[in-house]
Amino acid sequence: MMTGTPAEIPDFSSLTCTNLMIRLKMLLKKALPHETVECIVRRDQRDTIDVPFSRTGYDVKIRKVDTNRYRVSLKKKEHGPET
Amino acid sequence: MTSHFFLLGSPLSVERLSWIEESLKFFFVKLNPENLLHHTKAPRDAVFTVFLTGDALYSVQEPQTLPLWEIILSMPSVKIVCDLKELELRGISIGRLKMKNPEQVIDQNSLALNGQPSFWKDVMKYARQHEQPVPSTVGYLQMESPYMNQSSHAALQFLTAGMEAHASVDLYTYLDGIHLGHIGQNPSECENIGRGLEDLHDRAQKKGLTFQMLACGRCAAARGYSTWDDGQGVVISTCTIKPVKIRNLQEITEQLMRSHIILAKDSASIQLKKEGQVSSFPLQDQGRSPPVTILVTHRPYGTEEAFGAISFAVACAYTGITTRVVFIEDGVYALLGEHKLEAGTHFFNLQEVIDAVAGSGNLQFFAFQPSLNQRGIVKNKKLNAVLDIGIPELGQLLFFSPNGVSASHQRVIFF
Repeated sequence: MMTGTPAEIPDFSSLTCTNLMIRLKMLLKKALPHETVECIVRRDQRDTIDVPFSRTGYDVKIRKVDTNRYRVSLKKKEHGPET
Repeated sequence: MTSHFFLLGSPLSVERLSWIEESLKFFFVKLNPENLLHHTKAPRDAVFTVFLTGDALYSVQEPQTLPLWEIILSMPSVKIVCDLKELELRGISIGRLKMKNPEQVIDQNSLALNGQPSFWKDVMKYARQHEQPVPSTVGYLQMESPYMNQSSHAALQFLTAGMEAHASVDLYTYLDGIHLGHIGQNPSECENIGRGLEDLHDRAQKKGLTFQMLACGRCAAARGYSTWDDGQGVVISTCTIKPVKIRNLQEITEQLMRSHIILAKDSASIQLKKEGQVSSFPLQDQGRSPPVTILVTHRPYGTEEAFGAISFAVACAYTGITTRVVFIEDGVYALLGEHKLEAGTHFFNLQEVIDAVAGSGNLQFFAFQPSLNQRGIVKNKKLNAVLDIGIPELGQLLFFSPNGVSASHQRVIFF
């Protein structure tokens, strides 16, 4: 969940967008400032994550790993999330 | 003209009626004392109208709640409208209350197109007074399953009344409300809800109106409705009636961006002043969408209501709607102690969810202190993002426009 090998990255592709947001917020709340939270999501989930998290103080990196599967990395920016 | 109204269909406990009574007192004494001076006002000039149907009607006869109604009706600008058919069905008498307050207790309903008294036509009249010109759409949020719960009939009747008033209608189904859209319903002793919705869909088309029935994708998937996802969020199910569209919850909450009236089994619509005082709980949202206040009244975990409420609130807030969540009545148990969840479980620890999302834009959480006190419990101190409130603050939340919001009314939904 927190920065690891691909095998450790949780697959959230079955979650709805709202529950994905909740899961990610829970993980980010627990993460230390330098830690990256990663997960695998679907294409429509990727769109749900990108803008809101970028807008609220997170570095968001998204990489396509397969058909309709994307690896998302979230990390708090230096000055922290604005929420 | 009625500014505010409650629609209540669940059993009304002393606790619920008490905080409603206290909130109304706050409204009249602190905010609008001039309304207390006009004792001779005609009922149509009521500032608050409370619509009672279903099991909520027992409260006008029960010895514990009747005195509370008498206090509420001592405020001259309040009236209650009872569902006559439901009163008769249950054998409930409102004689005592009506005798003391004949102008304020209404038990005669308007006639529908079929010539029968229709409580829902009365509800529709008031629901449509909120906007000038009248809104073209009314909506209903249904969270209970049909047949086990009478509320599905209420939903259908409300939507039918809307269509008779030439409004387009929206039905949002959530939690067990999903089952309203199941194909092949064949009740032997009840009105067929599925067929009723299909008929409504056909009538809408003939009238040039729309009937939009949106079902929450998460709730539908959990209950076995989702059979295929095209990878772009469009879920197709073979077990729903034709009008049903299964959609992501956020697509449903996007509908709440519009200003039409949306009711639920227990709900309220509070008109907001466009100018004047603002809440002391400012939020950043500057939108025109009606703010939503969600009252979490059920204990967590035993049923899906508490998590469903928070999930719905998160989706509303994410959509850009100013959203406040109040833990009240048994809902305060969500804040009790420190919840621990077995590692690796798919379920959510509700307190972790609250803690994680509490800092989100457009979203605030509150604990109703009298409900905590009544149960002799204290809030988990780690939940410092959940603010303690009493009646004055609840009154502010209900009756003041959140800072920067210029909507005409506020939606209040009981979960």
